[in-house]
Amino acid sequence: MSSGEMMHERKRVTWVSYVALLVAIVIFSGYFAKVTEWWRVFDFTTLLGSFGNIKGAEASFNFRGAGGVGARDGFLFSLSLMPAVVLALGIVSIVEGLGGLAAAEKMMNPLFKPLVGVPGIVGLAFITSLQSTDGAAAMTKQLFDDNEISDKERTIFSQLMFSANATITNYFSSGAALFAFLSVPIIIPLVVQFVFKVFGANLMRIIVNISEKKAVA
Amino acid sequence: MANSAEKQKRENLVDMFIQGARKGWQISTNSMLPNVVMAFVVIQILNVTGLMKIIGNVARPLMAVFGLPGEGVVVLLSAFMSTGGGCGAAASLYGSGALNMTHVSILMPAIFLMGSMLQYLGRGLGTADANKKYWGLHVGISILNALLSMVVMRLIMAFF
Repeated sequence: MSSGEMMHERKRVTWVSYVALLVAIVIFSGYFAKVTEWWRVFDFTTLLGSFGNIKGAEASFNFRGAGGVGARDGFLFSLSLMPAVVLALGIVSIVEGLGGLAAAEKMMNPLFKPLVGVPGIVGLAFITSLQSTDGAAAMTKQLFDDNEISDKERTIFSQLMFSANATITNYFSSGAALFAFLSVPIIIPLVVQFVFKVFGANLMRIIVNISEKKAVA
Repeated sequence: MANSAEKQKRENLVDMFIQGARKGWQISTNSMLPNVVMAFVVIQILNVTGLMKIIGNVARPLMAVFGLPGEGVVVLLSAFMSTGGGCGAAASLYGSGALNMTHVSILMPAIFLMGSMLQYLGRGLGTADANKKYWGLHVGISILNALLSMVVMRLIMAFF
């Protein structure tokens, strides 16, 4: 089977995929947040824009106002977040559609074995887990049922997904509630999440290995 | 159209965006808004009853380790129940001045690393049929991840 046929089932990865992935990373990194030239279009907050201010006494508030509490304040606050969620998931969808996530998977495949000790075949499930908890979990079960991964590898891989599950979707929906209140670029907390996902999986790997050795002895 | 076959094969950029944007709308209305409203109401209840002050005082020594005020523990507990709730709680506490931008930044990765644990036991580990022997450990490691991430974020904050 040619590699072309093998890729047929999945999204095709071309140079466009890599460019899409790179552009998305730049947009979400906030790298161009401070520039004033035209290339600030490659920045999430620029694309998000701003609500108009309600002309008032001395301060100019947007529709959320200030000093609200309780359900009403929570509701208006949620409303103010929706553009960010709609925009972010729209961008993620383009990246996915152009094969950007498949490109990320391709680059990551050789890393799974050395980094967390599970075979690279979990790549697609992992990429899925960034967007959907349920889909990725079902794929993981399938990988075990097909004897592609052992029970031990399933436990380690499950840990990799479990902590900060549906990473991208959650971060750019719920997390958007806090983007305006961060004193670091929004990509940094995301990178920290990935670092600890890998850390946690390795902790699980060590513990599972020890408990298996005990079981044999 | 001459290139209609080509077009069928390749979804265009606009369609891709709209699809994702629609998903964003659905998540916003079905998941984020109810969770955020719930968190704001919980915070309001804690504030009105005076429980927030008590929780803040009790948790102060522990939270101080991570450079956070005692109220920060409410964010972590809410996150454990639901990620959206954790974000909502943090936003509400920021609004009332209990948390500042540095605090929110420190809490940010932790909210997700230990977020929605109970839900993900079923939806993640349950669906994957992962070995039940380690389920408790999955939760424990995720909480440890969250705690350590706050230490790391605190260090990172030194550069901003």
